[in-house]
Amino acid sequence: MRRYPCLLVVGALAAGVLTACGGSSGDSGSTTIVVTHGYTDMEAKAIQAAAASWNGLHPDEKVSLQFNGGNDSALQKTVAGFTAGNYPDVAYEYGSSAAQLAKQPKVVDLTSKVASSSFDWNDFYPSEREAATVDGKVVGIPALVDNLALVYNKKLFAQAGIAPPTNDWTWQDFRDAAQRLTDAGTHTYGWAYVNDGSEDTVWRYLAMLWQAGGSLLSSDNTAPAFDSAAGKAALEQLYEMAVVDKSVYLDNGNGQYLNLFNSGKIGMLWTGPWDLSSINANVSYGVTYLPGDNGDHETISGPDLYMLFDHSSARSKAAFDFVAWLTSAKEHIKFAIATGDLPLRESETKLPQYQTFLRKYPAEKVFVANLNNVKHVRPNIPDYAEVSQAIGTMVQSVLLGQASPDDALKTASSQVTSALAGS
Amino acid sequence: MTGWAMVSPSVVLIGVFGVLPVLWAFWLSFQHNDLQTPGQWAGLDNYRQLAHDPVFRESVKHTLVYTLLFVPITLVLSLLAAAALNRRVRGITLYRLAVFVPVVTSTIATGVIFTWLLDPDYGLVDTVLGKLGLPTSGFFSSPHSALFAVVIMTVWGWVGFGALIFLAALQGIPQDLLEAAQMDGCTRAGAFWRIEVPLLRPVSGFLLVWLTINSLQLFDEVYVTTKGGPLHATTVVVYYLYLQAFQFFHAGYAAAIAVVLFAVIALITLVQLRLTRDPTTAGGRQ
Amino acid sequence: MTTARRRLPSAWHLVLLPVALVMAAPLIWMVLTSVSTLAETRRFPPGLPSSVHLGSYATAWNDSPMAHWLWNSALVSVTCVVSNLVLCTLAGYAFARLRFPGSRVAFLAILATLMVPFQVVMIPTLLIVKHLHLVDSLPALVLPNLATPFGIYLLRQFFLSLPLELEEAALMDGAGRLRILRSILAPLMGPPLTTVAVLTFLSVWNDFLWPLVVIAAPGKMTVQLGLATFTSAHYTNWPVLMAATVISQVPVLVMFLIGQRWFVQSIASTGIK
Repeated sequence: MRRYPCLLVVGALAAGVLTACGGSSGDSGSTTIVVTHGYTDMEAKAIQAAAASWNGLHPDEKVSLQFNGGNDSALQKTVAGFTAGNYPDVAYEYGSSAAQLAKQPKVVDLTSKVASSSFDWNDFYPSEREAATVDGKVVGIPALVDNLALVYNKKLFAQAGIAPPTNDWTWQDFRDAAQRLTDAGTHTYGWAYVNDGSEDTVWRYLAMLWQAGGSLLSSDNTAPAFDSAAGKAALEQLYEMAVVDKSVYLDNGNGQYLNLFNSGKIGMLWTGPWDLSSINANVSYGVTYLPGDNGDHETISGPDLYMLFDHSSARSKAAFDFVAWLTSAKEHIKFAIATGDLPLRESETKLPQYQTFLRKYPAEKVFVANLNNVKHVRPNIPDYAEVSQAIGTMVQSVLLGQASPDDALKTASSQVTSALAGS
Repeated sequence: MTGWAMVSPSVVLIGVFGVLPVLWAFWLSFQHNDLQTPGQWAGLDNYRQLAHDPVFRESVKHTLVYTLLFVPITLVLSLLAAAALNRRVRGITLYRLAVFVPVVTSTIATGVIFTWLLDPDYGLVDTVLGKLGLPTSGFFSSPHSALFAVVIMTVWGWVGFGALIFLAALQGIPQDLLEAAQMDGCTRAGAFWRIEVPLLRPVSGFLLVWLTINSLQLFDEVYVTTKGGPLHATTVVVYYLYLQAFQFFHAGYAAAIAVVLFAVIALITLVQLRLTRDPTTAGGRQ
Repeated sequence: MTTARRRLPSAWHLVLLPVALVMAAPLIWMVLTSVSTLAETRRFPPGLPSSVHLGSYATAWNDSPMAHWLWNSALVSVTCVVSNLVLCTLAGYAFARLRFPGSRVAFLAILATLMVPFQVVMIPTLLIVKHLHLVDSLPALVLPNLATPFGIYLLRQFFLSLPLELEEAALMDGAGRLRILRSILAPLMGPPLTTVAVLTFLSVWNDFLWPLVVIAAPGKMTVQLGLATFTSAHYTNWPVLMAATVISQVPVLVMFLIGQRWFVQSIASTGIK
């Protein structure tokens, strides 16, 4: 304990030397708000540039950026932050965290704020607005939107003599191509599926479920609805490709599929814009809508949000002003050009800078158009994490050939029923 | 009393930062709490639910299987490694450093390396096994072998830790004991097994207890490789606890899991302390 | 204590070398990745880099407050090491040699804190730190680790393994316990003290979860938090991340090498018998 005075001195020195952080509402009328995020690399530079630009324009409503340890840790850190009192004013959160965090009394209800005509809430794509709404309350402002599309290796298709995918591909076209691209001898696969049982496994299946005309839960979110003919049909599609054709590489969640794609070992991926920057320059690839039957190429989107937490009315106001500015069409198109993120607002696609965006990221044109193929969204309920676990295990067991689609559906259905009922 | 004077700083620090939080966790286990809104009293509800939870039962099974494999293998390999490193060979410091490297290596880097090494399609191990005509394994990708793959990865990661501790103990054994034995005709290996190893008892006991306590709480390595899968094959108790607390927000339920885990670990530890005749439980003059 | 000079290298190299390679493989892989280009790391199966690109180290160092993170981590880790060496030696000795009421309970309570996973005690520990007004400060990283059950338990075992005769003579002469510790026992404790020092340094240096929830300000980030800024959910710049990781692991390895000086064969003789 004789070390303690030493530590106090050291701690004080450290605190003094380092920038004081943690927002404040100064009585001189100036406010500082804390914004936590998980941006790294180019995105980090883009957000820092945006914050610097804002601080220059609004010296009395300053923004202080803090890294949240990585978006996978964001939820844990935010929850701990409420205990410790060091929660931020604005936090970047996965859309799937909204329903859980919405219960937090400190979450700022944005419903009336976004309803103002100057904010133009309906300018955001429908899936984003749905992700931000829990129980009729708007709890966040969209930060990121994406969707799943088909990304394919042009050279592999040419070498195998198969006509490359188009936006009109049917499921049969897709299955046939995958089969023809697969070569057990060289460990080459036609398609890759992320099979770690997490939401990554689930959301690809959901796109197929919705294409087949099914739904995940009943309309009031109290009972499973995926144990239907549609649910079974979607599972059987996966079963046929993975177990019968053996044309699917099952990635166990560490992203190896991308390295394999780069090495010409995988022909097609279902992935989003975020993976495009990891494709090596020497790999020539194309992007199309997901395959579908009867002209239905429905896909799924996974929007992320900026959620606001209350410290004081001055800080909440500053926080909203900042996020509204950051997600405005004029500002966000700059962010999109710097990072490759898709436009958040439809009006961004009408701006002249949008052409710059398309020139820099030609492949993303399909992703932007694909946003119109998003028709359903995942239920925004607190129990979603448990539902996701059950579905993830269900899909995983079928892909691994450990269960038949019928049995897997039955198991998952009872798990979801108990998850929605109890706890 | 000198005794209390010497232990009080540690006891106070660990009491405040260790014991108090543990007591809070016990109290939390009797609540329905999502860490966001105020909790509600639940009495024994969480425990009752736990008793009927099939995933929890699975996780207990996996944890016990893992521990029964990990602890003995690591103990034996650590001892052998320490014996090998207890030599005056040129460059021995570098060898010791190399054995220690896995302990230092971040879990993420270890996870990446092992998922590549043990990849069923492209990994080095299956490629070599295939060439030698031996059966290959799905390792992390198959529900039947995933837990064993985790054992391999964690044994590799902990042997250096055990070797360091055994080595420290071996360094404390006076050389003249060994020289006397060898003059009496004992071989070097004989001297090792019959003189050095018995003298390692307090430290072996420590490692047995330490490794057991840690392996029953396995989490990080599962988190960076299999995330509890495939099909819950590597869902161990603490991973299930993490899911309940930070993904499903059933913090009270997670606390109940922690309490049950604590009871099991405490019981096993007390048995181990008794078996290694540790003065804590043996009573009587130390 | 002379050893016969040998001309030929020892046969032990045949055993130690392959073992060392297996153990050091990830570090070797980390270094190889850190000198590859980004495109080279995005292949599978991985291959050797075509040439040594040191740019990633420059990026890792210049594009981030790496030096600051290293300083924060070093400050916290070294403080904890010094504190543990003192406090755990005292406590370990007392638990090993002294009989005082409640010692068994105290020791078991200390062990008990090891039996609950950190995910569960994280929140209440945070609450305690908040009541001490230490949230988002370096002392919050130090305080919970000033004395660790590991150090106490390990040193207790080592004290137990020392023959009582060493102390008995001095005790009969009326020497105090601290004096005995300092003059008689400390010189024999090189290896275990080094072990406690190195492993305490390592565990504090590598801690991620506690700094994650306690620290918010960028200026107080430790090296593990800093490493997270090189990776993201979907995009990882592997060469730069590995370069940063290698940089972050160097201090621990250096600590280990320094500690080796004290890792010497005990010269205690049992001649007292």
